[in-house]
Amino acid sequence: MKSEARIAYLFAMPWILGFLTFLLYPVLASFFYSFTDFSVLRPPRFIGLENYKEMVQDEVFWMTIRNTFTYVVAAVPLSATVAILLAMLLNTKVKGLAFYRTLFYVPSLVPMVALGILWLWIFNGEHGLLNMSLEKLGMSNPPNWLGDPAWSKVTLVMIAMWGSGNAMVIYLAGLQDIPQSLYEAADLDGARLAAKTRHVTLPMLSPVILFNVIMGMIGALQVFAVPYVMFPNGAPARSTYFFTTYLFDNAFRFQRMGYASAMGWVLFLITLTLTFVALRMSERQVHYDRS
Amino acid sequence: MPVNIRTIAISAAALGVLGYLVYRSEDATTRKPVANKVTVLYWEKWTGDEAQKMRRIVNNFNASQDRIFVKMLSISGVADKTLLAASGGNPPDVAGLWDTQMTQFKDAGALTDLAPLAAEFGIKEEDYIPGYWKLMSPGGTLVAFPTTPASTALHINRKFLKPGEEPPKTLEELDAFTERISKVKDGKVELAGFLPAEPGWWNWGWGYWFGDKLIDGDKLTINTPENIRAFEWVQSYSKRFGVRETQNFQSGFGNFSSPQNPFMSEKVASVMQGVWMANFIDLYNKDLPWIAVPFPLPKDRQDLKGMNFIAMDTLVIPTGAKHKREAFEFIAFVQRQDQMELLCSTHGKNSPLVKVSDKFFNTHLNPYIRLFDELARSPNAAYIPQIGIWPQMDSELKNAFTEINLGTKTPKEALDAAQARLEPQWRRYQQQVMGKGITTAEAKP
Amino acid sequence: MKQKKFSLATVHIVLIVLSLIFVSPLLWMVTTAIKPIEETMTATPTLLPSKFLWDNFPKAVTYGSKELGYIPFLLYARNTLMVTLLCVAGSVCSNAVVAYAFARLRWPGRDAFFAVTLATMMVPFPVLMVPTFGLFKWLGWVGSFRPLWVPAFFGSAFSIFLLRQFFRTIPMELSEAAKIDGCSEVRIFTDVLLPLAKPALAVVALFTFMGTWNDFMGPMIYLSDQETFTLSLGLQAYQSQHGGTQWNLLMAAATVVILPVIVVFFFAQKMFIQGIATSGLKG
Repeated sequence: MKSEARIAYLFAMPWILGFLTFLLYPVLASFFYSFTDFSVLRPPRFIGLENYKEMVQDEVFWMTIRNTFTYVVAAVPLSATVAILLAMLLNTKVKGLAFYRTLFYVPSLVPMVALGILWLWIFNGEHGLLNMSLEKLGMSNPPNWLGDPAWSKVTLVMIAMWGSGNAMVIYLAGLQDIPQSLYEAADLDGARLAAKTRHVTLPMLSPVILFNVIMGMIGALQVFAVPYVMFPNGAPARSTYFFTTYLFDNAFRFQRMGYASAMGWVLFLITLTLTFVALRMSERQVHYDRS
Repeated sequence: MPVNIRTIAISAAALGVLGYLVYRSEDATTRKPVANKVTVLYWEKWTGDEAQKMRRIVNNFNASQDRIFVKMLSISGVADKTLLAASGGNPPDVAGLWDTQMTQFKDAGALTDLAPLAAEFGIKEEDYIPGYWKLMSPGGTLVAFPTTPASTALHINRKFLKPGEEPPKTLEELDAFTERISKVKDGKVELAGFLPAEPGWWNWGWGYWFGDKLIDGDKLTINTPENIRAFEWVQSYSKRFGVRETQNFQSGFGNFSSPQNPFMSEKVASVMQGVWMANFIDLYNKDLPWIAVPFPLPKDRQDLKGMNFIAMDTLVIPTGAKHKREAFEFIAFVQRQDQMELLCSTHGKNSPLVKVSDKFFNTHLNPYIRLFDELARSPNAAYIPQIGIWPQMDSELKNAFTEINLGTKTPKEALDAAQARLEPQWRRYQQQVMGKGITTAEAKP
Repeated sequence: MKQKKFSLATVHIVLIVLSLIFVSPLLWMVTTAIKPIEETMTATPTLLPSKFLWDNFPKAVTYGSKELGYIPFLLYARNTLMVTLLCVAGSVCSNAVVAYAFARLRWPGRDAFFAVTLATMMVPFPVLMVPTFGLFKWLGWVGSFRPLWVPAFFGSAFSIFLLRQFFRTIPMELSEAAKIDGCSEVRIFTDVLLPLAKPALAVVALFTFMGTWNDFMGPMIYLSDQETFTLSLGLQAYQSQHGGTQWNLLMAAATVVILPVIVVFFFAQKMFIQGIATSGLKG
């Protein structure tokens, strides 16, 4: 074995061990459960492809797929844009940066048990903070954010925006890594802000953007906590019933862990495919140091 | 390579701190058993105030004898957690769950049959109000004992009744009451006499007032004429105020547990609620003049007199529990009349026992406690269908309820759809969980 | 020059407006915390309470009664801190090392194993809960803090991926130059890569801190004993089923819980800009 490879295995060893100890068994077990009827409380019983066949005919399953895709398509690019813009704003040399950075990050910190109720309150269609502000700004009939199936998903996308703080922090760290000399060179060429952003910032930031987009996608495909707390049962009219909320209901409320596992593996395949596509598409766009 | 003393010192210090943290974290989770006593592990779903009140009963039990120590832990997400613990073969000895889960857990073989222990401890069916006994023994197997029960009634804000006016006695009178006192201004609803969607906890159950019980034997009866009629009645309310208007009105309701609860803030004049409502009124709007009366029935269904929803919080012994006998001794202690009345009065509930002391009634926080007690005893008192797919049924019916209120489906369409979705699930459940073959009547060509 | 001042002012205004929007949930949480219970969750919301009840804070952290005991808030805080510090330590020790192997070294099976690493994040958590619980049960770890912190010492897919991306932006020439100078891979890692990746390392440490501090699911699954609870579990104590939730106390407790995290963030965020000092090296 080459010495570089030997050292590399040594470096990777913690994760290899951790993977084998803590992840491999649960992942394989859930794969096995997907071919069983498993109520958690009783031992699983092998039923072949029944769960997968049932899924094809389960209209709520398809509905949650549609809801989830809509959410992903809206939330991922929007959150990414907001996070990059915030990071760029906070990478300037204005006073009070520490303060602003903290404020933008704060919504990611509020514990779910408090946050769920705060969102319900802010988005309340009649007396919510948001609609009161909109009415003051002259909007006569603001939407019913929580009760109207046409708006409930929009609400969740907006909430996702509030959680941009995490991605913002990563972009901020990424921006720090861009050599100042590149900007100086661009200045000499007389480049304007837009040009600098396009030709220096974004290409140099691209590995981090790729990371955030992929993580954002994986996260959005599994969106769970906020809709589960805010919209029990996917109300109104299942417009906020997402893949993972339905999966969780099947696993624990309906005690159909086998079916839930099968759903989990379908989501896995979907995510894998999308990630693969994203990686492929980004190959030419992402700028690594390849020297 | 030069040895850097500073690096070594920092690493050593870091390792030291780490070692200390590991040591402390191990220490913090090591439990010493209580000497010479059997420890009964009791997981309770209640947190906060309600858990504290239950703790008093636990303390009483621990002080009453010297062989058993009940360790009560208040667990959020107790159902999922009990499920996980049972799957790992390590459930608690006693779990405080909800009646809505009993059939499902029983079918999965997760609950101990308590009949032999009950017989041994001299606890009999006659001790309990019949409806509650049914909830304790889904499918005829005794698997649960109550902590606190409940019954339901129509709560009316007296301000909206004319002096000397009788509260509505039939559903038609309730409709008329709503028609008379509801206020709509510039397309905005300001006050509703009644609203079936408030508080939304019994959205699945309006059919009961018209004579449907969702199941009949092992048949699902969701799209029956009775249930369709019930959903039409429900829909008449969102039609009366307008779909969009009702929605806007409802979204202006504060959180249930707040002074802005629509009943407390006088946005709805009457509401169906449980015996616990008095707790909330006491907490958030003491001065509200309210009365509680049996929830009215349709004129042509007066035969259902006494119909109301009863429910209860349950204590069970999971199948894998280690100290079943000792666990039951604790449960039996909770069932003692004095302890049960202490618990139910502090929680503001009625008692599940047939025998109730005068003191319980006379000192109860709820001025209508006798009514709730009577309602609980009614032969027409109803409860959620005891069926293992109840969670799915609940989900489908709630969805149907929303759809008819949004006007996207007619009651018949919505209920047909729910029935169609539930039937195959019920068949699968019967086959997979209950081990029944498909009966010929239900088999589809 | 004049134009620059103008743009700075614009940046400020934009930042102020945006931060007001972002901070609104927190603001509401804090003002609710000091309201009397009747003013919480009002249908026509008022931002400020009619009177400021600052003693809701001490009330919240000593919630309970004399007869039946108070919430052991300090104990919860100690437990949370312990688990959090262990996780941060574990995360700092493991992730950078592993990410280095993925980003800068060549070894057979690297790309395949990296794909597997990413894939582990794509299986939704609920379907892994039962077997994972079974695993920890088998190890005899349920009821201890071990399921919460031991895995951190073996790295997490998220952090490994993040650091790998950062390591890959650092020019290879730096490593090669160090190699020519006779540095070992370990030396290149500690002396060349790590100092340059400080912002990313800070991000990973911070995320681990925040994630563990606020984690609800993990403690919910593995801890049962009140004395071992963490703060996020402790917050459940203010909710009740049929007795009325003490919103003001809940919010007060939540404020107390996240205050240390905000302070940590406020001071830690400086680390993300440390890269500036070293940026001269690059390019």
